[in-house]
Amino acid sequence: MKIHNLAKDAVFQTLVTAENGLSEAEAAKRLSEFGLNEIKEVRKTPLSLRFLKQFTHFLAILLFIGAGLSFLSDYLHPGEGMFSLGVAIVGVIIINALFTFIQEYKAEKTVEKLRQFLPFSIRTIRDGKEKEIPSKDVVPGDIILLSEGIKVPADSRLIEASYLMVNNAPLTGESESVLLNVEPSEGELIESKNIAFAGATVISGTGKAVVFASGMRTEFGRIAHLTSAVESGLSPLQKEIVKATRVVAAIAASVGIIFFCLGLITGRNFWDNFIFTIGITVALIPEGMLPTVTLALAMGSQRMAKRKALIKTLTSVETLGSVTVICTDKTGTLTQNKMDVRKVSTEGQILAADNLKSLGNHPIMKTALLCNNARFVDGLYTGDPTEIALLNVAQAHTENISAARVFEIPFDSDRKRMVTVNVADGKTCAYAKGAIEVLLPLCTQVGGDNGIVPLDEDQRTKAVDTCHALMDEGLRVLAFAYKEIDSFDVKTPDPAEVETGLVFAGLIGLEDPPRPEVRDAIQKCNEAGIKVIMITGDGSRTAIAIAREIGLTKDTPVVIEGVNFEQMDDAELKKSLAQREVIFARMAPKHKMRVVAALQEEGEVVAVTGDGVNDAPALKKADIGIAMGISGTDVAKEASDMVLLDDNFATIVIAVEEGRAVYENIKKFITYIFASNIPEAIPYLAYILLNIPLPLTILQILAVDLGTDMLPALALGAEKPTPGIMKQPPRRRGERLLNFGLLTRAYLFLGPLEAVACMFGFFWVLHQGGWLWGEIPKPNSILYLQATTACLTAIVLTQIANVFACRSFSESVVSPGFFSNKLIFAGIAFELLLQLLIVYTPWGNRIFSTAPLSISVWGMLIPFMFLLLFADETRKLLYRSRRAKTG
Amino acid sequence: MKQIEYRKILAAVNEHVNSEISARFAIQLAKEAGCGLCLCFVAEKNLPEDSLRLAEEAANRLFHRAKQLDVPVEIILAHGDPVDEIQKLVSSENIDIVFAATRHEDIEKRFFQGTTARRLSLSLSCSVALVRVVHMGRIHPGKILVPLKAGIRRIQEKAYITSMLARSFDSGVYLLHSTRPLMRFFHGELHLTPDEWETKIPKDISDFINCLDEYGIAHEKKLLPGKTGRNITIEAAARRHDLIIMGASERGLLNSIFKGNPVEEVLRDTPCNLIILKLRHEDT
Repeated sequence: MKIHNLAKDAVFQTLVTAENGLSEAEAAKRLSEFGLNEIKEVRKTPLSLRFLKQFTHFLAILLFIGAGLSFLSDYLHPGEGMFSLGVAIVGVIIINALFTFIQEYKAEKTVEKLRQFLPFSIRTIRDGKEKEIPSKDVVPGDIILLSEGIKVPADSRLIEASYLMVNNAPLTGESESVLLNVEPSEGELIESKNIAFAGATVISGTGKAVVFASGMRTEFGRIAHLTSAVESGLSPLQKEIVKATRVVAAIAASVGIIFFCLGLITGRNFWDNFIFTIGITVALIPEGMLPTVTLALAMGSQRMAKRKALIKTLTSVETLGSVTVICTDKTGTLTQNKMDVRKVSTEGQILAADNLKSLGNHPIMKTALLCNNARFVDGLYTGDPTEIALLNVAQAHTENISAARVFEIPFDSDRKRMVTVNVADGKTCAYAKGAIEVLLPLCTQVGGDNGIVPLDEDQRTKAVDTCHALMDEGLRVLAFAYKEIDSFDVKTPDPAEVETGLVFAGLIGLEDPPRPEVRDAIQKCNEAGIKVIMITGDGSRTAIAIAREIGLTKDTPVVIEGVNFEQMDDAELKKSLAQREVIFARMAPKHKMRVVAALQEEGEVVAVTGDGVNDAPALKKADIGIAMGISGTDVAKEASDMVLLDDNFATIVIAVEEGRAVYENIKKFITYIFASNIPEAIPYLAYILLNIPLPLTILQILAVDLGTDMLPALALGAEKPTPGIMKQPPRRRGERLLNFGLLTRAYLFLGPLEAVACMFGFFWVLHQGGWLWGEIPKPNSILYLQATTACLTAIVLTQIANVFACRSFSESVVSPGFFSNKLIFAGIAFELLLQLLIVYTPWGNRIFSTAPLSISVWGMLIPFMFLLLFADETRKLLYRSRRAKTG
Repeated sequence: MKQIEYRKILAAVNEHVNSEISARFAIQLAKEAGCGLCLCFVAEKNLPEDSLRLAEEAANRLFHRAKQLDVPVEIILAHGDPVDEIQKLVSSENIDIVFAATRHEDIEKRFFQGTTARRLSLSLSCSVALVRVVHMGRIHPGKILVPLKAGIRRIQEKAYITSMLARSFDSGVYLLHSTRPLMRFFHGELHLTPDEWETKIPKDISDFINCLDEYGIAHEKKLLPGKTGRNITIEAAARRHDLIIMGASERGLLNSIFKGNPVEEVLRDTPCNLIILKLRHEDT
């Protein structure tokens, strides 16, 4: 037994209240126990802790250790530049933390938007007297008074109702009003007709109700609870970055330990050895990786915004690329939400919309005109799209019809019909339209050539068959009926009297045409291995027909209707979801979250669309919540990760394509960044093993990692999607960002080539200056400074070639179009300019311990650029031919 | 298995409506367990006349309700400190379990001040069921959520109460085990499907399920990785559960500060009524 199952007295007994309401004292007590009737956010980690968290993740800890060791080294062995290194690392940590925090911190406004649905005050009965109180002071047991225009402040059980109609759109997503009553009912509380839910608006009538749940315990609060409590968790990219960081940490630590041991074996002084171990370890940590990833995501989100997909959280850019399932609404997303009348069936014949001349002033047209709430004012139609389409066709096929409406029972999703009573020329007529399954049983007669005759079973069956045939064409079908009324008392209307003995007028089939670009978008999803699941409130026949039209289904899809969905347990649901083609019909937005959760539990990365308030929990739960920019509510937009500015499904697919491109691009610039770690590390290895002067200083390494490499890496992040990107299946869950191919290419192929160039530059300059093996030049001698500068310049030059090589793993450098990414050239220009400033300006020389180089040194180093490009082109050629052979 | 059997239940009643609702759970349990019920109201010093009257009215209503359900019931009125008086009654009346409503102050003050509910759960020698009433429309629960952790203490008694309440209300029982995600250093968080999680269900939970089976209580179960407290409230809200039955927290203050306290979180954010059990009957 629940509150909606009980009769009035039992309701009072259960809620410990009475017809006279609560006393003020009791209300105060209850207020202190149950709290204010308001929508609150579920308590979350404080902002300060969220900021501090940015300093406690694995990479930050790793960098802190690096910085700490640098400061320790400087303390033990001053003058080696280790203090500057420590400061630079701490700077990197702070910048990373600020970057990440700013992009993660998003003022949560969903709950704020939800609050706006509750009223400021409400009339109640307390101590037997009627009084207006702030709605936040409403408590369980309070009696509230409902009348037209007010918003319901809390979930309440009706005890009196007079034609009380409410609009539950915030809760159910249904725009139609619901007629409430006071009778005890069976079934689910949420579907009960004797409950007025918080957030609903009273459309007409009056009523009295007892509050049984307030604040966050209302159904409306439940939406707020789910929306604010569901945490998105780490995005696939964030998870990959965590893993990548650990791999890098393991590599850096291992190499550091190996170098330390090598140093000890070769008899180096302990502290010298220790300092250089730190240097080599720090050299292998890609300090610039996180800011570059963040900037690449930011650029990706800007590209998406230009294509009408507004990204709200940066990591969602990449998450889109890993989406495996898209759960999409039908109306407005797959279709245009522009209803048009396509077919009219009356008196046994089906007429196309362009052939309705014979239906001038026909009862079906009169009914479509008069039983209609759409309006045509100043050349513009306003109202529900279905009613506008009906009004449009009816106006074209009726003349001189003017009738005053004296009574109306609005459309109600449970009654599935609308009825009006109109008076014209002294005659009173009832007009009804609705679903055939509810309207046909109310009809006893039918119009035809021989006038109005009784409706027999054959005619009923034929009407139903015709309806099914129209639905199979993807049409939404409405039945129409009418009758003349002898006497009608407006003051005491009897709905039952109005709705019986109707004359069946016929059927009208309306079409919401699919968006023209959707078919291609679905095809793209199919090729990209992304499953598209349609979730619609329409019936299964209409849903299947539309699905066929847009290419969503080719075979016999699994169709799950809302009623069956509610009866399924999780195992059954998951089994159905595993099928290739799945359609959900007659679904309500409240069902979406369960579909999303079931898919996620099976390891899918889920995108879901939504527009209503009650879509918010599903939007929050999904890996990517997509709100409709045009038709969406503010609550849905706030709860989503992405807003579609054109409400178009095709835009989702474009965004997925961009997301995939972003992931590919991140791999490209990680290869680029990681490759430069090797020429940064080899000089240290040589320094220890060969007993030579140190070829590259710590600050020169930082000049590359946080200076010259940054913009070219970012330019790689702006590469356009490759043509085949939507022909590959979604990334496998186990697939690594730092996979074997990437690491071997960066560390064992491109990196060593760059290392050869930098060591060549170092030794060539020393050799030209008359240096002999075994000599240790003074740290501030021009020759030594020029040699390290040559080493640094070689890295910068080979990185210029590397940026072209990294544009594709397997395709030739010219295949994406050499000039197709102009940012690459801007990045290279920046890189060169910065290097020139480092080499040829006094401040550059002072900070980075460099000295100007002659043009001949540049001339000796430039061929290494071509060597790297040639070597990588050869590798790509071999890779492609091997791939072609293995198919 | 030797089954637990309650002989007498005590429900603490006062002037607050939530104590009356909490006592209704005790009545249902007494009815199903076939045991006696003692409705106890302890009037503190200087209690206003009005509060006294409200408490008496509540006790009378509950008395009649229990009578209607053929539950042997008595009302005991006492004066003094509620905890001390109930403690005495527990000894003298051989009470098996005490039902008491938590107050709003329990949410904020739990660790810092000994609220009556907390004192009761700590000091009584019998089992204690602390009831947090947040939703007056769901007092006949159709769906009961039972969160389970790996180390359940007093499995038999917990299964007994769950079964009796479920049977009494004809409710569906949903077991939820929320656990930490599985992690590997280089792989990060591992995703397991529900079927894979099924193989990792701890033995205590299997034992609890066996006990439910012995009572003939049908149930569904679910395993969710993530933050325990948050998972419980989300599951309760998403599936519209009417009642949560969970064990009392065994975490100390420091542990709660550093690791969090799922029971406290649920107590604060529960979307439906909640029963927190501090049980004393050892498993056989």
